[in-house]
Amino acid sequence: MSSQLGGLMSELTKYQHNYGAFGLNILSDMLLPELPVHASTDLNPAAVRIMASSHEGWPSLVANEHSTPLLQMAAGDWRLELEGIGWFRAHAGETLSYERWDDSVSDRDLRTFLVTSGLAALLIQRGALVLQGTTLVRDGQAVMLLGTPASGKSTLACCLQQDGWQLLSSELSVVSEQGLVWPGPQQLKLWHDSAAALGLDWAQLPLVRRGLKRYALLPPDANVISQPVPLALIYSISGAKRETEAGECEIETRRIERQAVALLMLRNNAYQPRVYRAMNQEANLFLQASALTRRVQSHRLTLPDGVKRMQEALEKVDLLAPGSLEAKPPAELEASAEAKEEAP
Amino acid sequence: MSTQDSGYWYLASYPKSGNTWCRVFITELQRLAGEETPDELNLNQDVETGAIASSRLWLDDQLGINSCDLSFAELDPLRGRAGESAWLFAEGERFHKVHDAFQSLDSRGRPVVSTTGCLGVVYILRHPEDVAVSLSHFFSWPLQRCVNFLLDPSAALVPSEWHGGHQVRQHMGRWDQHVRSWTDQQQLPVLVMRYEDMLAKGPETFLTLTQFLRLPDDPSLVNQALRNTSIETLQKLEDQVGGFAEKPKGAERFFRSGRSGEGAQQLTLEQRQRLAEGLQEVMRRFDYEGVDKA
Repeated sequence: MSSQLGGLMSELTKYQHNYGAFGLNILSDMLLPELPVHASTDLNPAAVRIMASSHEGWPSLVANEHSTPLLQMAAGDWRLELEGIGWFRAHAGETLSYERWDDSVSDRDLRTFLVTSGLAALLIQRGALVLQGTTLVRDGQAVMLLGTPASGKSTLACCLQQDGWQLLSSELSVVSEQGLVWPGPQQLKLWHDSAAALGLDWAQLPLVRRGLKRYALLPPDANVISQPVPLALIYSISGAKRETEAGECEIETRRIERQAVALLMLRNNAYQPRVYRAMNQEANLFLQASALTRRVQSHRLTLPDGVKRMQEALEKVDLLAPGSLEAKPPAELEASAEAKEEAP
Repeated sequence: MSTQDSGYWYLASYPKSGNTWCRVFITELQRLAGEETPDELNLNQDVETGAIASSRLWLDDQLGINSCDLSFAELDPLRGRAGESAWLFAEGERFHKVHDAFQSLDSRGRPVVSTTGCLGVVYILRHPEDVAVSLSHFFSWPLQRCVNFLLDPSAALVPSEWHGGHQVRQHMGRWDQHVRSWTDQQQLPVLVMRYEDMLAKGPETFLTLTQFLRLPDDPSLVNQALRNTSIETLQKLEDQVGGFAEKPKGAERFFRSGRSGEGAQQLTLEQRQRLAEGLQEVMRRFDYEGVDKA
């Protein structure tokens, strides 16, 4: 009994930080302000651990065919090497280890990759549905914005925040089998131009990383919610912009009617499909994504160029009522969009 | 699968030097040589020879991270390792456009593109005076700015650190540095192709290209592909599809004139002299005439 207690005390000393994200209890030896703090101070034996560890001590790995030179993977084992920054390993869905490249590397440098790619790999190992999306909440309903990096998710999310929406999960979002989105990283990353156009006092915001012109919007600057919320709608941010006769590009949505197309859209927006394949979880991804398409409507979302026009456009529409901003596209455009989605 | 089946090629050039024409030609040649021939080339659906090497989506997939979280100085040394494996490129997507110089100021002497599994590079170059005029139309920049750009050792595409984009920064450097970075590198076999020869000696220049790329090299097929991708035909096709997808918003059209010699007509004497003075060694090496200072 006393040895068990000693072990727990030792764990508490090592993992000083206790977070609740993605439906998990996450113990970390590094401060991770991007993650919501866990409500309970009790030590959970099943918690995920994030800890420093020497990469030279990691067992040798027979990388599978989905690996790349920087991303060595086998089922249940994910390793990332970032020259000048560090080594990262997610193992068995239970531990996320890291080692900094040298003493010049800050915790901020490491946690940028720990709370995104690292945790995503660990979650994929656990069989979770991890999508490349930012989720916001209003009136108890969650809306997920899917899109590739630099597609405008964070800028749109920031506009919505200014309009009263709460941030649930940024950059990656995990949906449970019951259709709930779990709280995840709660940090919006904004490029300088977007931050300035949004009227933020960017000089007062922390940098995402030293040397980048990107700023982190964290609580209390970001209005967040740390409870799981039912997913009401999915928007896939589309790069194809259509102009009005006046030459203006307006916000509009198009519902993805065909379930097969919605499924492929979700698969294409899985957080790093390569990791799903390498972790032998692709079939699981399809099953979960398929279930999600039956439960939640998906829409394509076209945004106007520029932050000001986006803000103006959002004043006229309600993202919880996509029918209000639905456009009926020419049949040719619809076919083209679907063909693109279906391309491998 | 043989090396040839699984290997890939780069089509490298300074921007506005004939890279797209080359890709359209390859697409058309493959279409003509294929068993199932659609009626006519569709610019916006068929010109998919392969991803541009600076695609952020592709790099993110290879690196396993969001590359927006890296600075240019961190990303450039990693880029050459992305896609080292031969299985990287999907079948049928084997010709990859590159506008980067072979190395960047930040890449620590390493190539910014993968060389493993690469069968070779076609380097396309064009008289810098004509590049200046074409850049001017493409970017809607004054000619003076284009001349400065060609002479700027830190010139790059998508150079801003202030906002993100679907491509990463592509360092090009001064025009002559760009040319030398590709033509003098020793890691990949290189075929140098002058735009002026593509225009003036099309059949033999493109035949050499198809042989280098191990594509069908029946002269009649090459000549037919060449006729089908003449500037007049491309302009007609661009009109038909309502604008080529790679055209920037401000530019009137992508396939504009295609002629050589416009630079000599449109640049001032001083602008031509500056180009000749700054780029003379490489211009001379590739038989480009300039204007000497009086």
